Amino acid sequence: MDKVLLTFSTLCFLGGFIYAVLILRSEKHQPSLANLAVIALGFFLQSWALFIRGELHGRCPITNFWEILVFFCWCMVLLYLLLGRAFRLSLLGVFTSPIVFIVQTLATLGLWMGNDVPKPKAHVDPWFELHASVSFLAYGAFALACVAGCMYLVQDRLLKEHHLNTLFYNLPPIQNLSMAIFRLIAIGVVLLTVGMAAAFLMEERPTMVHTGLSFLVWIAYLALAVVHLTRGLGSKKLAGSAVAAFLLPLITLLIFASYKQPQ
Amino acid sequence: MSLVCLGINHTTAPVEVRERFAFAPHELRLALQEVRDLEAIDETVILSTCNRVEIYAKAKGPESAFSALSDYLARHFKLEKIDDVDFYHLVGEEAARHLFRVASGLDSMVLGETEIFGQVKKAYSESHQAGVTSRVLNKLFQHSFQIAKLVRTNTHITRGSTSVGSVAVDLAGKIFGDLSGCQVMIVGAGEMSRTTAKSLLSRGAHSIIVSNRSYDKALELAQEMDGRAVTFDQWESAIREVDIIITSTSAPHTIMHRDMIGGAMKKRRGRPLFLIDIAVPRDVDANVNDLDSVYLYDIDALQKIADDAREEREKQIAICDQVISEFIEERGIGVLQPESGLKPEKEKAPEFPGKPSKPLTNP
Repeated sequence: MDKVLLTFSTLCFLGGFIYAVLILRSEKHQPSLANLAVIALGFFLQSWALFIRGELHGRCPITNFWEILVFFCWCMVLLYLLLGRAFRLSLLGVFTSPIVFIVQTLATLGLWMGNDVPKPKAHVDPWFELHASVSFLAYGAFALACVAGCMYLVQDRLLKEHHLNTLFYNLPPIQNLSMAIFRLIAIGVVLLTVGMAAAFLMEERPTMVHTGLSFLVWIAYLALAVVHLTRGLGSKKLAGSAVAAFLLPLITLLIFASYKQPQ
Repeated sequence: MSLVCLGINHTTAPVEVRERFAFAPHELRLALQEVRDLEAIDETVILSTCNRVEIYAKAKGPESAFSALSDYLARHFKLEKIDDVDFYHLVGEEAARHLFRVASGLDSMVLGETEIFGQVKKAYSESHQAGVTSRVLNKLFQHSFQIAKLVRTNTHITRGSTSVGSVAVDLAGKIFGDLSGCQVMIVGAGEMSRTTAKSLLSRGAHSIIVSNRSYDKALELAQEMDGRAVTFDQWESAIREVDIIITSTSAPHTIMHRDMIGGAMKKRRGRPLFLIDIAVPRDVDANVNDLDSVYLYDIDALQKIADDAREEREKQIAICDQVISEFIEERGIGVLQPESGLKPEKEKAPEFPGKPSKPLTNP
């Protein structure tokens, strides 16, 4: 059932992907409620599937590589739905859908092809659950900051080159993008701080690799936010850094995910 | 019975002719009643704007209607006779299609402008309140509002800006989003910078600093815009405070250089700066545009964007006409149906000298 739900959810994001291509080609520059509805439906199905797997595991469903990918996608969509509109970045969804579609397709195929049978864990450490889920949310925020960063760099280029094409009219104002990048980084840093604090309270202490990598991600984004705030790091540099810095959580995520696989 | 439209606009007559036929707002109600009282006319709407005067009417027959309306215009505007060469005479579907094009901004001087939609709505509302419209014109104008919205939503006829001032305002919107927090500085108090600054203020920019070689002129402009004037040697220090600079001095060389703007940007903490250089020769070094978060547009760049938008809008005319035709074909135009007393097929307009009685199209 959970895999079927995930498949349908992935199809919803495929709809979002197709919409993204259409909107950028058809030059229709009003944000579409239909696209938001498709993303929301995809999120609902995703949540349902994760809930079923969570029930089977008796814990947060991030027990293998594929589940981690699905959970990461879920975090991205959740943050987009919560913050995209508030930051006047409805178009963020247009760019988020393709990423979620690609990642979740991989994850869903992996889950269909794998023969993992979730078994409820005898003992659940609530600090571990908090650490994992909040850290993934933080990574979701960093992923959205990366998407917003890409949007900023494209819009900046179009403005500099005086190239006012369809994409230019579709993209949000550059100042809004700059603010959104900073806020997403700040939200990510706060969430990661909570996640890391929870890690220290876990029954089983995290490994050095785990701690080291998490700290690296945390310090990199914290430094970005602080430098932007105190030293007036330019918006373009902030956007570029948000894109480049996302390599860190991405690599960390892959290492953690492969770390988990044997379990 | 016929639907007719007798009109004059910017494509058929120069302003010195059009101005003779403009209905003043305070006399419109009376004029509506007078037209309605003509024997040949059953219903009427008068659309009078700076670029056009059009009388739409449901009439007993086109020839008698046009004749009565021409006589009325001559009488009302105290002319011996009106020159038919300046007017277009449209009947039936042609009149309806013309109204739809007008409401959609396809017949406007600034192609695709949306102000005309409000003017058509207002004209209809006045006529409706005066009690000079009934079933036929009510339906026709409701259709025109529907079609205008359809055209705006489904085509790019309103995309982009077609004047230098509005391009600058659009760009400012794409850089800052909400302009309410933006401060504008004018360096060199020319007419174009005044117009552009006024457009920015109307979109929410909150204050203006004016600097000019002649301080009196700066003061005058600053007072007009509720801003403040600074002497010409002070504008440089004001760069760090402002978000948009409109420059149009008559200096023979550039007055804003990369180092100067780069230095100011360090104090702006990454906040973007939009430079609108409308001076010829240019006031700002072109390489200033290479600085992070600085966006420089000179007069040629702005003009090119405006020209491109105009060209793009002209390309959209055929698509808009298609939308109108499809609407007429699919939904039908009630006023042209037999039960309304009007013939569905095209009626032949009576012969008048001069302008062809075809829907007027932009080139």
